[in-house]
Formats: sequence, C-alpha cells, structure tokens
Amino acid sequence: MNFILGISEKINPLHSVMVLSGVIFISSFFVMSENRAVKKFIITLFSISLITAFYLNIYSFISAGNFSSILFYFENLQMLEISIIIFCALNLLFFISIYGRDNRHFIKILNLLLFSTISAIFLVVARNFLLIFVALIIFILTTFQLITALNSKTDRIRPYIMGYFLRPLLAVILFFFGFSLFYGATDFKDFNQILQSEHISNPLIASGLIIFGVAVYLYLFLFPFQGPYIRLVKKNEFSSNAVIWFLYFPIGIFMLMKLNGLYGFFIERNNIYAFILLAIAFIFILVSSIGAFKTNSIRRIISFLFLFFIGIFILNISMFSAGIITGDSLAWFNIENIFLIIFSFIPIYNIFSSLEKNTNSDSIDNIRGLGRSNIYMGINLTIIFLSWIGFAHHIGPFIKYFSGTNPAEMGILNLTLLVIITITFIFLLINAFRIIIRFFKKPLRGTIEKIVFPGFLYIYVTFFSLITLAAAVWGLLKILNIDIGIMDFKITGF
Amino acid sequence: MGIFGVFYSREIISVFISFQFIIISAVINFLSFSQFLYQSSLWDKIFIIFGIISIYLLMFCIIYYFYIKMDVLDKEALHRDFKLFKITRNDWYGEDDI
Repeated sequence: MNFILGISEKINPLHSVMVLSGVIFISSFFVMSENRAVKKFIITLFSISLITAFYLNIYSFISAGNFSSILFYFENLQMLEISIIIFCALNLLFFISIYGRDNRHFIKILNLLLFSTISAIFLVVARNFLLIFVALIIFILTTFQLITALNSKTDRIRPYIMGYFLRPLLAVILFFFGFSLFYGATDFKDFNQILQSEHISNPLIASGLIIFGVAVYLYLFLFPFQGPYIRLVKKNEFSSNAVIWFLYFPIGIFMLMKLNGLYGFFIERNNIYAFILLAIAFIFILVSSIGAFKTNSIRRIISFLFLFFIGIFILNISMFSAGIITGDSLAWFNIENIFLIIFSFIPIYNIFSSLEKNTNSDSIDNIRGLGRSNIYMGINLTIIFLSWIGFAHHIGPFIKYFSGTNPAEMGILNLTLLVIITITFIFLLINAFRIIIRFFKKPLRGTIEKIVFPGFLYIYVTFFSLITLAAAVWGLLKILNIDIGIMDFKITGF
Repeated sequence: MGIFGVFYSREIISVFISFQFIIISAVINFLSFSQFLYQSSLWDKIFIIFGIISIYLLMFCIIYYFYIKMDVLDKEALHRDFKLFKITRNDWYGEDDI
C-alpha cells in the first residue's frame, strides 16, 4: 500500500496523464479494427478515461495542493486549465464520434486526440523552457495529424490545411529563436526566475518578448493574418473545425497567459505600450465584429466571433496594464472568458453543424424560424446567446476603481479603455441579437419546416443551458451581494 | 534574412529555406552565448538537439503531406503562386466563394 501511495505522490500533478496514456496503450491494440462493436467499446473506454482524468486532476489538487519541481508547477490556475482541456477533449470525442465514426481511421483518430490532449496538459504544467517548447511543438504536430486524418476523404482541402499549419510552424520557429535570446540574457530556464532576477531589464529579454508576442499573434491568427484560418474553417469537415476551436485556440491563450507576468512587467513601465495594446485590441474587435456582421455563412460567423473573443483577451491585458485590475484578477478574467467561450460555442456549433448536415448549406437563412418550429431548442439557444451579456462584468472594476470620481479626472487611457469596452459590449450584443432575432422570424419559404434533431442533442444542449443559467444566477447573487456560500474559490496567482 | 524571405518568397520551398535561416540563427545564438557567457554549459546543446528534432519532424510532416496525394493542379498552384502572408479583402469582409 505504501508503495502505491509513494508512486501516487511522485506522479502527483500527472495522474490524469497516466490514465490517458494507459488508454492509448490499450486502444493501440485495436487501431486496425473496423468492427462497430470495437468502435463502441473504444468510445466508451475513452469517455470513461477522460472523465476519470478530469476527476483525478481536481482530486490530486485538493488532496496534495500545489506542486512544484524543476520541470512542472501545478497550482489553482493550472488545475483549471487542465480541467478545461480535458472537458474540451471530452466534447471533441463526442463530435468525432458523431461525424467521423464511418472513417476508416476512427480509432487512430481518437488516439491522436488523446495524444494532443496529453501534450496540451504537459504544455500547461510545464515550467522549464525546454518542456514548454517540446510540448508546444508536439501539440501542433498531433493537431496537424488529427486534422489531416479527419479530412482524409477529401483531397481538395489539402492546400488549405497546409496554408493553415505553416503559420504555427513559423510561430514555433520564432519561439525557438526567442528562447535562444532568453538564454543569452540569463542562464535561467524558467519565466518566474527571469521575472525575479536582476537581468530583467536586459534588452535581450525585451527583444525575446517581442518575438514571443509576434509568435503568439501568428499562432492565434489575429488581424490581419486570419486568411488561412477563415478559409480552412469554411472548407473543413465538422469535427476538425471543433478541434481548431476547442483545442488549438485555448492552448494559444494558455501560452499567452504563461507570458502575462513578463509582459505585465514591461507594460507597467511605459504607458505607450498600453496604448499600442489598446489600439490592437480595438482594431481587432472592430474588424472581427464587422466581419461577423457582414457575412451570411454560419461557419464564418462563428469563426469571426471566436476571433472577437480572442480580442477580448488582449483587452484584458490592456486593462491590467492600465492598472484597473491586478495580475490575479487578470488570470481570473481570462479564465472566465474561456469558460464563456467554451460553454457558449460548443452547443451553438453542435446545433448549427447538425442543421448544416440536414440542409447541406451553411447559410444563416437555415436558422430562420427555428425558434418557432422547435421552441425548446430555440429557447435553449437564446439562453446560451444571452450568456454573452456576462461580458458586462468587465465594467465592474471601473466602477470599483473610480466610484465617486469625476469622469474628467479618470485620465485619457482609462477613459478610452472604458469607451472601448462599452463599444465591444454593444458589438457583441448586435451580433448575438442578429442571430436570436432570426430564430423567431418567419422562414423565407412561408411555411415552417420541422427540423428533427437527434435525441441526445436535446440532453447535450439542456446540460449547457442549465450550466449557463446556474452561472447567471450565481453572477446575479454576487452583484446583489448575497452570499450563499457555495462558491468560495479564488485564483491566487501563478 | 529569414523574416524577409518568409514575407517575400512566392514559392513554398523558398519559405521553408527562410524558416531554416531563422532556425540556424537561433542555433548560432545558443552556441555563441554558451561559449562566451556560460563556459560551454550543456543546457544549450540539449535544447538544440530537442528543438531541431521536433521542428524538423513537424516540417517533414508538412512537406510529406504536400507531396503525397495532393492534386497536380493544387501542387502547381502552390509552386507558382504561394505567399505565406497573402492578405485579401475576401478574408475578413465578404463571402468566401472559392
């Protein structure tokens, strides 16, 4: 017993990885099989393993607390990030099981999914530069293979996939260059050590950080480099779009969050950086919301709105640089934003992809009258879209910071920030209501066609809308200062 | 040179060669800093080996994907008119009608 406890202690933050690796080992015996029963067994095995990994991740944090070694560190934030990754992987398993079950390489695809999940987990807990770099590149490699395997039936998509993945390739090469500069500036192998050392003002660190910034910018396909992303999303198979949105993009955001401490140090020293960040965030939010508003293709709308939410992360960093929120609040804001993205986009994309499969077109006119013909689905979707109003909590810190102050004394940077946040909120509402209104409009052909969704989709969407409602009630209670004592969880930095 | 090549090249092979310029410059950085600042520590060699292996693995996978089973017309289009940073109006404003 002591022996088992000893092993358990040694692999403390990586219990979830152990479970997933074990399942990969078991399923590797079945990769060549095309038997339906075997596929069902593998899907069940993978679901159970992911749920167990999710549980073990939280359990190991509660039982053993923070963990730190030369290679890893595991705190509240990392626990939350890993939970998000495993939850996304579970949903991707669901997507792939629906749309890719007939694929010849189905079990191989599921193995690749778990490989990319494991490399994503390593990237999140990595502390050492080498581990960060290798985990990132293996994550991109496995994602590339996953998407190519999912699209193996259509050869026409190949140039789009290549065009897409050349960007992350350039991003990791720039990361390699950036790490070489960090190595030149200090002999440390860890972002936290650099932040606390006396070499922090070395110009090599600043240039390394600029290169990292460019790399993350390219990785996330921010404006004006979004071309390959938009083109791939338009042509892609359903489940591989989900891989891009719910696995590839969150990892880019976690990478950005790893660098937040170093960026915060430089931005706090000079106000001009805050203005530059604000300008980037504003242009990005403006362009992506106009893009989403102008287009009639549902896939393009979702992809632009995804970019819009990534713009909000940059806005959060500029709020931090203006001193409105602290570093801990920034991490909390980012996590809330990721939750908002995951819990709204997964059910929305699920329903819209099901609609697209029924009608063979991704035009926005397909959703006209959905709220009339299928009232239950219409109400659920409306609740999920209305969850975007939760973005309004970004104005909360301003109220706390400037309560009782004359607006003229707020300072030009803070005032601009407040105006931009208000504009962002208005854009978000315009885009949400554009879709909600279509649900309850009369369909183009005059008669309402009954769209039949599979039974499990009702349970799936109800689950998400109930979570959204619970979060809304909790938020309201928090605003009204009523403490019910259920949630008392705070991020204490990283 | 690498960054310029990435922006300027109109052929996929030139883009890959530009990538290699950046990789080589990073390797030179590692080795020279190690030689002159940190008395030839082992750390940089380990980083170079792991970094090079993983980057080249990814590059190999992408090139292999390019040369296997891709349509001849698509290959020609990629060779003739390829730009990594091609910015068109259609990408953010208007429908994708390709």
